[in-house]
Amino acid sequence: MIDLPALGATGAYRSRNIQTVTDVAGTALAELSLVPPLYVNRTMAALRRSSIMPADERADAMIRAAKLFATATIDGLTVEEYQHAVSRVGGVPISSVVTATTTVAERVAKAHASVQYARPRGAVDNWRDPLTRTGRSVWTRRGNVFAVHAAGNHPGTHSIWPEALALGYRVAVRPSSRDPFTPHRLVAALRSAGFADDQVVLLPTDHAGADAILHGADLGMVYGGEEVTRKYCEAATVLPQGPGRSKILITADVDWRDHLDVIVSSVSGHGGTGCVNTTAIFVEGDPTPLAEAVAARLSAATPLPPEDDKAVLPVQPVAVAKAIERHLLKKAAGARLWLGGDGVVGELGDGSAALLPAVFQLDDPAAPQAGVELPFPCVWFAPWTPEAGTEPLKNTLVLNAMTHDTQLIDRLLGEPTISNLYLGSQHTHWMDPSVPHDGYLADFLMRNKGVIRN
Amino acid sequence: MPLTADQILDLPFDVQPDPDEFIRAAMEWHFNPETGCKFWLDRAATLGFDPRADVKTHEDLRLFPNVAAELRDVRGEDLIPRGYGNQPDVVGFFESGGTTGAPKRVVLMRDWLDRMVSWSNANLDRHGVPRAENWLGVIPTGPHVVGTLFRHHAVTHGRHGFTIDLDPRWVKRLVADGQFGQVDAYAQHLIDQAADVLRTQDIGLLTITPPLLERLARDEKLVALVNERVKCIRWGGTQMDADSRHLFKTEVFPEVALCGEYGSTMIIGVAGERAGISVDDPCVFDSFSPYVTFTVVAPKSLEPVSYGERGRVLVNHVSKSFLLPSNLERDVATRIPQVNGLVGDSVADISTVAVFEDEDVIEGVY
Repeated sequence: MIDLPALGATGAYRSRNIQTVTDVAGTALAELSLVPPLYVNRTMAALRRSSIMPADERADAMIRAAKLFATATIDGLTVEEYQHAVSRVGGVPISSVVTATTTVAERVAKAHASVQYARPRGAVDNWRDPLTRTGRSVWTRRGNVFAVHAAGNHPGTHSIWPEALALGYRVAVRPSSRDPFTPHRLVAALRSAGFADDQVVLLPTDHAGADAILHGADLGMVYGGEEVTRKYCEAATVLPQGPGRSKILITADVDWRDHLDVIVSSVSGHGGTGCVNTTAIFVEGDPTPLAEAVAARLSAATPLPPEDDKAVLPVQPVAVAKAIERHLLKKAAGARLWLGGDGVVGELGDGSAALLPAVFQLDDPAAPQAGVELPFPCVWFAPWTPEAGTEPLKNTLVLNAMTHDTQLIDRLLGEPTISNLYLGSQHTHWMDPSVPHDGYLADFLMRNKGVIRN
Repeated sequence: MPLTADQILDLPFDVQPDPDEFIRAAMEWHFNPETGCKFWLDRAATLGFDPRADVKTHEDLRLFPNVAAELRDVRGEDLIPRGYGNQPDVVGFFESGGTTGAPKRVVLMRDWLDRMVSWSNANLDRHGVPRAENWLGVIPTGPHVVGTLFRHHAVTHGRHGFTIDLDPRWVKRLVADGQFGQVDAYAQHLIDQAADVLRTQDIGLLTITPPLLERLARDEKLVALVNERVKCIRWGGTQMDADSRHLFKTEVFPEVALCGEYGSTMIIGVAGERAGISVDDPCVFDSFSPYVTFTVVAPKSLEPVSYGERGRVLVNHVSKSFLLPSNLERDVATRIPQVNGLVGDSVADISTVAVFEDEDVIEGVY
């Protein structure tokens, strides 16, 4: 059994309130210490009191932490054991977990550099910069303590919040019960590399404790669904990471046959569990041939246990998989079924089931199903017309627009509810530290402060 | 000399009646047309058994159905046993919190108030809580019995009582409406008022709910003030998890006695934390047996679970003043043997009935 204590401001804390973390087959794999709000409050107060590491030492520590995260045995777990646990509990294909280990390490090692992409060209990092003598903006933190309600769908999501540490924030992470391993390993690595216990903490906790974490922080980031977006959309101190609803648009001047690999990968890459996986594809003209081709390609995926090197589909406990299936089939009523219409549950015989790909075709670009985002390769095709315009493409984390219509591109770029616009043939889950994900995190964490010295 | 039925129902709090003799006396009292209350005398017609003939032991209380829901509409006067005569000493009518629907009503008679509070005071003595301190209660008053019990406690075990009013129904309304900012503001409003009393008065005992105690603990100056002046924190109203209890005892208020109480309006009183258990042991609550008795039962069969197992708390209140057997509370607890072989169970690690995650809400990827 893997022991996952809370990592508090005075070290590891084992609570009486233990949550047993089970794998997709229901086998207990880890014991997670849940802390009460009282413990959270005291920890958040300690973060606020703690001293700040100089920026150069932070960068040095993060580079070393990244190496430890990707290579070291941490709290008794080798990298392989860690990856196996993430895969078995979250159901994420192991190959995707292995890739994410590297990605997270690279992002952590370069966080001190990547945050600089968000700094306005007019701002300097330090008041000692000679530019402030004649008046300048100094890029400063909006607060000192940052809270994260982490995601559990994919370990790669943990590549973003470490930027807050690079910027000098004290950070509290509330792990998801679906992947407590990744943030546990990352926080432990950061501590081994030089961050003090009262500078970065891991606080597994229930809903009351989760509220206390946000309450005790200056700023917070919360992963969740529609309800999270609704709850926090007006809170200036909380950055909600809500539904992705990533999309592809293919206009009539582009032949999809040239881009089938990219389209299929956008839907199913990394197990199709991400907010950057494509949820809906809009096709000018008849979507039927493309839907048929994508369905044919996706139908080749076979259900395998997530820890199998060849696994490409996400796995869930059978009960969860069936609940997703019921929800999907209810939503799909009236749609043309290409794949998954007779079920998406591929039982593996041990109480777990792979979620088999699903492809549906809608007859109206405004059909609400195009916004139904589920944590497996599941895609909705819909017809698109220039008259339908940008409306069906709104509320999108990543839009891959396969078009040569420059006026349309101008309108898509101007649409405020589209976060990222990829043009040409670029799968929607493509990321780079220089390119914002849903804005740069530092947009939220930093501000420009006017400074002049004379 | 054997005690008469009347004498058995009027024993001092620290004299234990034979539990079965006590039940027979209580059945005679509550179901004799001369002494019983209108509510139960009317209700007896549809019970399907004769309590005076058929309920002979504590065990037999199981024959009673759970009539708690009927106390939502009952006329208050119909709960007063006629045996109290023409001028019954009614302290008041009180209401449940109303968490599960409209509130239920009970009657509090003077003799029960005295008996319950005397018993509870003795338990505080066992915890080493000094007498003649001034008490501060951040507690529900109004329709809730706890405020009245508190004042009586304060002037019998303590010296004077100060109170800050907490309206739990308003908080529940706010929570139901998702107005968490208002909940937060209300909680701070309560703490601010309590802080003023703590700063200006000689308070030796603080009665408060665990969530408010946790909130108070966010303020380091208030924590210092409590540690300096208060000798005992008496908590109740909602539950305190074992980790918080440990932290309060060892880190936040290490010099202050921490003493829990588990009660409700439908019990018309409290069960007290067993004295002498260590910080690492579960918090055990003993009821005022045989008047208030718990059985920890399986929720469907209502059969007792084994000692050490968890189940729903079923409560019997049987006193001269009031009768409410077979009341299934919303709480879940671990079954623990009562002290000194008293009838009924003691309870530990109380929590409310677990709400399972809603399988329907599954859209999204996080």
